[in-house]
Amino acid sequence: MSQLTVLNEIPELPADALFGIKQRIAADDRTPLVDLGIGAYRDDEGKPWILPAVRAAEAKIHADTHTYNHEYLPIGGLPALTRGAARVLFGDDLADESSERIVSVQSISGTGALHIAAKFLASFFPERTVYLSDPTWANHKAIFEAQGMRTATYPYWDAATKSLRFAEYLAAVKEAPEGSVFVLHACAHNPTGLDPTQEQWEQLVQAIAESGHIALFDSAYQGFASGSLDKDAFAVRLGVEKLRHSSPVLVCQSFAKNAGMYGERVGCFHLVIPDQGEETNATVAPAVRSQLQRIVRSEVSNPPAYGAKIVGTILDDPVLTNQWHDDMVTMASRIGEMRRALRDKLVELKTPGNWDHIVGQCGMFSFTGLSPAMVKRLEEEHAVYLVSSGRASIAGLNAGNVEYVARAFDEVVRFCNAEDAKTKAEGAKL
Amino acid sequence: MRAVAQKRSQFARQSLRQLNSTTKLSLLNQIELAPPDKILGLTEAFNRDPNPDKVNLTVGIYKDNSGKVTTLPAIARAQRIIDHHDVLNRNLSYLPIKGGKDYADSVKNFLYDESCAPSAKSAGYQNTPNYGKDLLANNRISFTQTLSGTGALAICAKFLSLFVSKKVFIPNFSWANHKNIFSSNGFKEFKNYSYYDAKTGQLTVDQWLKDLRAQVSADSSKEPSCIILHACCHNPTGLDPTREDWDKIIDTINELKMIPIIDMAYQGMESGDLIKDAYVLRKCIDPKYVCDNGIFLCQSFAKNMGLYGERVGSLSIVSPSNAPPTVKEAVDSQLKRIIRSIYSSPPGYGSRVANLVLTDPELKQQWGKDVQNMVARLQGIRNDLAGNLDWSAVNDSQQHGMFFFTGFPLKTVQKLRDEYSIYLTDDGRLSLSGINDSNIEYVSDTFKTIRQE
Repeated sequence: MSQLTVLNEIPELPADALFGIKQRIAADDRTPLVDLGIGAYRDDEGKPWILPAVRAAEAKIHADTHTYNHEYLPIGGLPALTRGAARVLFGDDLADESSERIVSVQSISGTGALHIAAKFLASFFPERTVYLSDPTWANHKAIFEAQGMRTATYPYWDAATKSLRFAEYLAAVKEAPEGSVFVLHACAHNPTGLDPTQEQWEQLVQAIAESGHIALFDSAYQGFASGSLDKDAFAVRLGVEKLRHSSPVLVCQSFAKNAGMYGERVGCFHLVIPDQGEETNATVAPAVRSQLQRIVRSEVSNPPAYGAKIVGTILDDPVLTNQWHDDMVTMASRIGEMRRALRDKLVELKTPGNWDHIVGQCGMFSFTGLSPAMVKRLEEEHAVYLVSSGRASIAGLNAGNVEYVARAFDEVVRFCNAEDAKTKAEGAKL
Repeated sequence: MRAVAQKRSQFARQSLRQLNSTTKLSLLNQIELAPPDKILGLTEAFNRDPNPDKVNLTVGIYKDNSGKVTTLPAIARAQRIIDHHDVLNRNLSYLPIKGGKDYADSVKNFLYDESCAPSAKSAGYQNTPNYGKDLLANNRISFTQTLSGTGALAICAKFLSLFVSKKVFIPNFSWANHKNIFSSNGFKEFKNYSYYDAKTGQLTVDQWLKDLRAQVSADSSKEPSCIILHACCHNPTGLDPTREDWDKIIDTINELKMIPIIDMAYQGMESGDLIKDAYVLRKCIDPKYVCDNGIFLCQSFAKNMGLYGERVGSLSIVSPSNAPPTVKEAVDSQLKRIIRSIYSSPPGYGSRVANLVLTDPELKQQWGKDVQNMVARLQGIRNDLAGNLDWSAVNDSQQHGMFFFTGFPLKTVQKLRDEYSIYLTDDGRLSLSGINDSNIEYVSDTFKTIRQE
């Protein structure tokens, strides 16, 4: 028997869609050229932006020649980071009050945190179904299924009205088998940019508590969505309070967007154990911590230090923390301005359709509602790139290109509408 | 009727709910305390120890003679360049899933061109052909930036267990994390091969080969077996096979159609010469071996660049010479899928530093010197210990790297920890660089006392 066939039989997978866009952009020499694909913040000149708080933290770390080195971090990560990150997420009061119940480990950004969550659930809560919003971040399904978890979806986005299918969403929570896992976007839902209102969150969390589900918050945009850490943490904090006596709350936290640490992979996974009294809490928390550390040890041994030290330094230093808060306001307000500018321009051009949802959505993305045909034409005729679902990264807009993009949107909408009308008319003739 | 049925089902749901919520809680309550990590857990105990004379000889981190973890001069210079560089330090964007192209190019060049072409300086290598360069030219290497050596082993294990094999041979003494990594990434069958005899303190290469022959020939399944090979500076024993032994070992592995997984965490730390130390890699890629199911290289810059916590390393999968080019493409695409669901993309900073060191000729030369200096200090400690203790085993010519394997039984190791605050790992492994002028006397005297007891 030839063993060669083992390798030969491995199927080749299609390339990642976003990666494909990146390649086409690299090969495209038209100007202007606008990249609305990538989920990374760009400044008003279209350049990657390193936050002033990050610059200052770097300078502080490097100036400290006595202690700066490359020694291994503990398995659970840099304490300054995990401690500070929990305070960012839960707020000082809740973090203090629940400190005995919060188990935190550093992770390889948001994906790494979700992976730890998936691996933990697969070990100790197998057989549970993981419910994901429809639609959701393309990687969610793969992360959970790679660990053998079963996934399903709950209704979320109504394409026709560009709004939340709240009643169906709530019904899905109530109907799911008890103890199911609900993956909730803490804020700035990816890809739609549309979040439940605070009243809707109250109802959702209530239903989750009543059904004994496990809430898993994916918090990738805290502070980036509104400019306020507290406002963007509303759902997470509500969950921790309301589920206190019913079930564990899992939170996957990333500093990729809100601290601009994308490629340095800084994040944390937090597990808030349900309150069962001091004595029990004191035995459950260390056991959970030890299991999370075992997962980390078997995949990376210990997490990467550089980015963790930067964020840890920011969180440990009140001056830098304030600077960081300002930086988030800078990013969130620029994105807000671009949302308004794009909507206003489309209204001014009398582009067919309603464009208010662009302003109603928050975070990095807008689900524009453009059809795949329109997206294709945007790329081919106007060198404006977005993913085929019609998701546009608003961070790619700036004062210099927003009018160009609005005109391009206008042209493709009119062109494709006309084409559709033609097809319909021909269909009627036949 | 309907109302009653409805009520009944409501009641059933409610009691189910109560039942479930107790189960749910107790599921977390049932989680057992995982055993603390055998090595990193000790540092925590060490840190708590109030004894001012305490000595930490556990972790494989290089420390200088004042007991400090310092940054290698080449690395410090690379950092300064990056800090003041407009392009290198202007972008914290995501790297591609498999890491940056610059890093991939420079590391592949280092591993498969330079490391596969020992210069005339190294005795006995004048006429060795450079097979690595052929691999590069024929595009046979699926290369991925990884989170250091552990990350490479984890992705390697995941890939193999999904597509090729779930069986692995591990030496009877090995890094404590090997089994943990492979079992947590899909491997089902673990076998040991004799590597070291604790009684004699010697390697057991003949028994090793006998073990492989006996166990592989007794295995009637079609699934090939993998084998972990420590490329140099075997962890924990510090003892490596001779070149002649390696030739025999790799012949046997190929004869038995086993899949080599080369764990190269200490390149350069054996001889002080980075290139010389890549012998096992050079040997494995010799085209006289077919290696039907590929060769797997897990490599790290943690130790030889001192980039420990920055997590810089790589995984290479060398596809067989007789495989069509589609195999490499398929392997690449599957690696991307695996990584995408574990951490999306690797961390940037450490790889920028490593890349700069590998591409700047001055820095690279400095790096070579840095490695030499580390090894010279380690060898000095070995000699000093040997002198103080009169143990022939300490200075065995086959002992290399950061570790000395004391052979102390667990009882002694515990006694050293509890009564003398000298911390070794449970298996009796001693990390040499923790010893320096200020503590060598204390350590030597304590060992003498312990041995007399």
